Amino acid sequence: MNDFKEFKEYELEGASNSYLMSVVFLTFALPLPLINLIATFVFYHANKKNSYFIKWHSIQALLSQASLFIINTMLFVWAVLLLFKVLTINNYFVSLGINVLLFNAWDFISTIYSAIKTRKGIHVKWFFYGLLTDKICSK
Amino acid sequence: MKKLVLQGFVLLVLFVGVWLGLSQINWMKLFKINTVIEEVPEKLGEMYWKFFQEHQVEVLDSTIVQPIDSLIKHICTSNGIDPTKIKLHILSVNEINAFSLPDRHLVIYTGLLNATKTEDQLCGVISHEIAHMERNHVMKKLIREIGLSTLLSSTTGGYNGEFILESAKILTSTAYDREWENEADLKAVQYLQNAHINVKGLSQILEVIAASDSDPSHSLTWLSSHPDTWERIRLIQKLGNGKNKNLTPILTDITWNKMKSSLNE
Repeated sequence: MNDFKEFKEYELEGASNSYLMSVVFLTFALPLPLINLIATFVFYHANKKNSYFIKWHSIQALLSQASLFIINTMLFVWAVLLLFKVLTINNYFVSLGINVLLFNAWDFISTIYSAIKTRKGIHVKWFFYGLLTDKICSK
Repeated sequence: MKKLVLQGFVLLVLFVGVWLGLSQINWMKLFKINTVIEEVPEKLGEMYWKFFQEHQVEVLDSTIVQPIDSLIKHICTSNGIDPTKIKLHILSVNEINAFSLPDRHLVIYTGLLNATKTEDQLCGVISHEIAHMERNHVMKKLIREIGLSTLLSSTTGGYNGEFILESAKILTSTAYDREWENEADLKAVQYLQNAHINVKGLSQILEVIAASDSDPSHSLTWLSSHPDTWERIRLIQKLGNGKNKNLTPILTDITWNKMKSSLNE
């Protein structure tokens, strides 16, 4: 929190947009995790030489999307193996599906919340991702 | 750093914990998932069979149907497969063809029955098709060629005759992937050996088809579109070599000949 004292308008907008990038494709009915991950990565890449506030939040958004991509891919691969009857459907698969859905929903809510808060200049540090971003993001 | 690792660990435990916790609920029963899974091939099988039934003439003569049914029963029971699940249909079509539809519908054209000279040859074709059914190649092929969402929509009656006609062509007129054909061949050889049927029958009927393939006057489809037929014949011959022991005929000569003469009528 101490790292972020005063922000310019473009910084607030940029930080807020870094979160919106990960959900913008949902509005086009394209809930594809890879596209969301690419979108946040492109946004981070474009802003990595920008202000620390924008860069920090674009990394946090990117990290959350990366972990979502991993769990969504787990479910996707399992589903493909089911289609080709390499694996059979069972309780663990359905539970994983519900779990992945819950994590996606939690990520979605957190993303919208963070987009609103950062737009107001409030620094939002997620559990685990915030600390990881601190380690990665250099001034 | 310690805090970061700890938080990462907590997150991981949370994910796995929720997953394992949720898996304690019997979702399969709750959502009736098994029923839905079984219904899709069943509905597709019904849909395609209805289409063939409407457009082609089904042979119901018991002197033709019963012997083939006996062959299927013999192959299935010798290999631990439930024969009652296989739905045999014989259609009066001159084309040399046999194919499987979803939900274990086995369609054999009279053209193929005429082309087979021995019961071993016919058993070779049947075993090959049963192998496709057992390995679920029919559904895999449809999913690959048409797409799962389109198939699911078709089971709810969302598609017209044009769609069924086009997708039925996939099942009747194109060979499976080389890998799947080889898999079905290997499995068929195994089935034939377990049923004490001469494996040569399968290679012989393939030879008949491969030899006739160059003759444009023949109307044939069964495997002929596949480029590696001769290679497959050699493999089947190699696999069956010296393993044709305790061969037992399933049908009597009278039954076989009666079936053949009924076909000519």
